[in-house]
Amino acid sequence: MTKKSFTLLLSSLLTLSMLSACGGNNNNNEAAATKDPGASTGTNTAATTEPAPAPEPEKPTEIKIMLPLNTTDTPPDTIKTEVEKLTNTKLTYQFFPADTYEEKLNSSFATGSLPQVTYLKNQTTFLQMKEAIKDGQFWEIGPYLSEFPNLNKLKPEILNNTKVDGKLYTLYIGRPLARQGIIYRKDWADKLGLAAPANTEELFAMAKAFTEQDPDGNGKKDTIGVVDRNELVYGAFKTVSSWFGTPNNWAEKDGQLAPEFTFPQYIDTMDFFKKLRDGGYMNQDFAATSKTDAVNMFTSGKAGLYIGGSMQDIDTLNKDLIKNVPDAVLDTHSMVAGPDGKFAQWMIPGYNNVVLFPKSAVKDEAELKKILKFFDYMMTPEVSNLMYWGIEGTHYTVEGGKAKATDNKELIEREVKGFKDSVIGEYETNGMYQSLNVLPGRIHAEELVLENVKVGVADPTAALDSATYTAKGVELQQIITDATYKYMYGQLDKAGFEKEVENWKSRGGAQIIEEYNAAYKK
Amino acid sequence: MQEVTARPRTAPEPKPKRYKSSSELKKRLWRNKLLYVMLIPGVLYFIIFKYLPMYGLIISFQDYKPYQGITGSEWVGMKHFSRLFTEPDFLNILGNTLILFGMNILIYFPIPIILALMLNELRGTFFKRFFQTLVYVPHFMSWVIVVSISFVMVTMDGGIINELLAYFGFSKINFLLSPGWFRPMYIIQVIWREAGWGTIIYLASIAAIDPGLYEASRMDGAGRLRQVWHITLPAIRGVIITLFILKIGSVLDLGFEHVYLLLNSMNREVAEIIDTYVYTAGLRQGQFSYSTAIGFFKSIVGLIMVMTVNKVSKKIGEEGVY
Repeated sequence: MTKKSFTLLLSSLLTLSMLSACGGNNNNNEAAATKDPGASTGTNTAATTEPAPAPEPEKPTEIKIMLPLNTTDTPPDTIKTEVEKLTNTKLTYQFFPADTYEEKLNSSFATGSLPQVTYLKNQTTFLQMKEAIKDGQFWEIGPYLSEFPNLNKLKPEILNNTKVDGKLYTLYIGRPLARQGIIYRKDWADKLGLAAPANTEELFAMAKAFTEQDPDGNGKKDTIGVVDRNELVYGAFKTVSSWFGTPNNWAEKDGQLAPEFTFPQYIDTMDFFKKLRDGGYMNQDFAATSKTDAVNMFTSGKAGLYIGGSMQDIDTLNKDLIKNVPDAVLDTHSMVAGPDGKFAQWMIPGYNNVVLFPKSAVKDEAELKKILKFFDYMMTPEVSNLMYWGIEGTHYTVEGGKAKATDNKELIEREVKGFKDSVIGEYETNGMYQSLNVLPGRIHAEELVLENVKVGVADPTAALDSATYTAKGVELQQIITDATYKYMYGQLDKAGFEKEVENWKSRGGAQIIEEYNAAYKK
Repeated sequence: MQEVTARPRTAPEPKPKRYKSSSELKKRLWRNKLLYVMLIPGVLYFIIFKYLPMYGLIISFQDYKPYQGITGSEWVGMKHFSRLFTEPDFLNILGNTLILFGMNILIYFPIPIILALMLNELRGTFFKRFFQTLVYVPHFMSWVIVVSISFVMVTMDGGIINELLAYFGFSKINFLLSPGWFRPMYIIQVIWREAGWGTIIYLASIAAIDPGLYEASRMDGAGRLRQVWHITLPAIRGVIITLFILKIGSVLDLGFEHVYLLLNSMNREVAEIIDTYVYTAGLRQGQFSYSTAIGFFKSIVGLIMVMTVNKVSKKIGEEGVY
């Protein structure tokens, strides 16, 4: 009996362990598949960082680049090979899925295996990396920029926003400063005899008319004005708040920097949304509506105003909307004056990602300069067009000095998109083609993006540091976000909201104010 | 077998735990060598993926900096634990977690058992299979889809449930944004998605019951309900208790995704649980040490719960999980 039960135990253990091993192995394989390029780099980096003889222009420079990938598959070498030819380099791209990029970044960093060129993911990862930057883990590139004619064209005001303790460590990937505005149903507005809203009152009136006057003409009251989602920054709230004159995150008040939610304009904006919601002129569940659901509401023809997102999204929204409502016409708008008659737009710091050069991989100044040389090449129209648009004739054509992407979207997605997101600078600085737009609303949007900057409001804390903010700013902001929604839903009054602001201050907000002001005075 | 039968019956010797000589042990190991070889992957799996990572728990006692590594980071003792326990919202978050867990145990846990008993009473293999498959399917939908489906159904802007309420003259209910509706929505979604899947083990153990028992009880005049009560339920009692103990182990581990998707600014006071708090406070800001400390705390609570319940279950004469 003993033997039998022993065998039984063993075989059941075995089955269990086989099962778990299988499960484990599966995960393992997946992990191995995604991590493989990384693993191979570890060794490769070691091999390539051998001090190569510095001035030897004939020999291609070997560069390893790590960057986030926003598509499902790693792009083929089509574009890479061309770039290598133009820049006399041998490039090794390590693409990692954007969804898990932070993880990859942190683990590579912890194990000292970051490659020579490291793209971060966004402003948040940059914020997290600041401490390591201060710790001297990355090369300061500021002093070398003037040696490179093309890199030297990068916009100083944006470079300034990416400085850490006043020193420049990064190159930036540029984005328009203020792309936000309204995308609205022009066919509805025309039908009801409304012009694009010139101020916040007209905006309110338009939302009301879109709800009550049956703009789709089906005889039923089944439309709403504004569709919004559970997002105070990239949803409608922040954009409308800047129209009301609320500062961009922080502004001076009585000679001191103060957060936006201590300004009366912030309350005015909350009142505006409260009124919209109470009247039924916006989706009632906006505090719980995801972006997908909000976009669906708009593209199904139920809502008339989409506020806050990038106006350049009009192309995609239009494409989906005319599937459901073939005769719909969309337009963009962003010049909405506040109650005081003034125009304003909040601005981002002008970049969406940055590149760092780890000291653990770039051994000396000579190597750093070689790598910067590559980026200098990337800032020429030739290379930036190649990386942003692809190969002329295959991925795009040029019409009237502008690039028209091929209709084969899958091809672009597969071969170009991976590189597109890594191009340094913007078309003003690297000379690449602007895109050729056909949709009138999109052409209008491009004009408005330029107009927005003229009345743009910058965030004065963009280049400032606050240790407390880095540690728990996001967590604290939740208090304000919750209070803002509760106010708009009528569950908090003004006194209640102010109590929450006090709560924010007592839990670390006061320190943030102090630290920003100390840094601001410097 | 020979060994056992060769031993004289009169000597009630305990199981041979020691081998008389190491050569005998070797012989035994050698005879089953293939089985041991097959054991290796499983053992390696547990060492590599379950035991080695525990080393990382060290960082909950440090101010961990990725570039300084575990060896280089500063030791701070219980700082992160005391931060967690002194957090103003901590009691609220812990309370929310425990309430949801309690609902899971009291409301959700019995449902797969009842469902399995009901499925078992279905006659005709085709119907049985059909309904079984039907109740499994929701399990394969991700929480994102489950929550989106509910959103579409209960939204105030044309959701079918609110439209029905309005049609019958009731006022619309803001299911998504009122704190009072969060818990019912949560548990209904858990039941909808998981109840069918949860029946699998119960059905398997019901299938293993000796049909002779039912025949005998029928001879004695037992009806369907009697059979369920006196044969089926006692037969699967062991399985129920095992699953219950395992469930208890995950007391603070409700699954991040589901709650996070339902969470919004209006229902945070009842919906914020430890997992979602870890996400906002820890991971989104790269506070590795703090999040590890919270994870550590969760595991310890889970361990204590499992050991307690296991002990209690043994006390009342049931088998434990170990």
